[in-house]
Amino acid sequence: MSSLDDSPSMVLITRRDLKLSRGKLAAQCAHAAVKCALRARSRKARLVERWSKSGARKIVLECEDVKQLLQLKEQAKEAGMIAMLIEDAGHTEIPAGTITVLGIGPAPKSSIDDLVKHLKLVN
Amino acid sequence: MGLRSFIHHLTAPAITSTVPAGRYRLAIVVNTSLKMKKGKIAAQVGHGAVKAALKCAGNNPACMDAWLSSGQAKICLKGVDDEQLLSLQQQAKDVEIQAVSIRDAGRTQIPAGSLTVVAIGPARDEDLEPITGALKLL
Repeated sequence: MSSLDDSPSMVLITRRDLKLSRGKLAAQCAHAAVKCALRARSRKARLVERWSKSGARKIVLECEDVKQLLQLKEQAKEAGMIAMLIEDAGHTEIPAGTITVLGIGPAPKSSIDDLVKHLKLVN
Repeated sequence: MGLRSFIHHLTAPAITSTVPAGRYRLAIVVNTSLKMKKGKIAAQVGHGAVKAALKCAGNNPACMDAWLSSGQAKICLKGVDDEQLLSLQQQAKDVEIQAVSIRDAGRTQIPAGSLTVVAIGPARDEDLEPITGALKLL
């Protein structure tokens, strides 16, 4: 990723401790991405447009557990960013009501980086 | 909003379009020939879902509402390769179901321009079934 590229970004933060299958993880991330995008569209329309036009960057990261996820959500909100949690309906794999993913953004890449630079990419 | 469009907004008849009742979902077919890793797949599926949702919200708000009331259900399916994904996209379009494809910018893992996912819908379960019914869950 080039360093001069400061176009808006979205991060989807997953929980390592849930050990979700790749299909489940993908669906949960998609929930978060859509929820964030729709929320942002009504509140920060121009930002969403810039984000879409610059490739709608999404980065999938992982954290340890739900405690860390909730902490990150608070930090993102305090910084004025859109932050949406996804709770699973529990049709498959995990109990209903499990918090699976936190979506943050779209927001300026630099502000997101400050918040999540200590997290690892999901491989 | 300008004054003129504000007045239009107040006086124009409401757009009333309806869609058939039922469970709506979005099927996202992943190109498994690219052998993408878990995180990459999640990001690409996210791209497909957002693109489909924003497009549907613009073109067919009634369908979007029906999907949101179904808990914006999403299902991730295994596709074989480019050829299959393109054919599924065409089949969907032939029956007027929205289908969007995602091509990767190629910054990580795979070559630029690779067709990573096709998102079909949101549409009713029974309308998706003939197109995606044979595919396995990812």
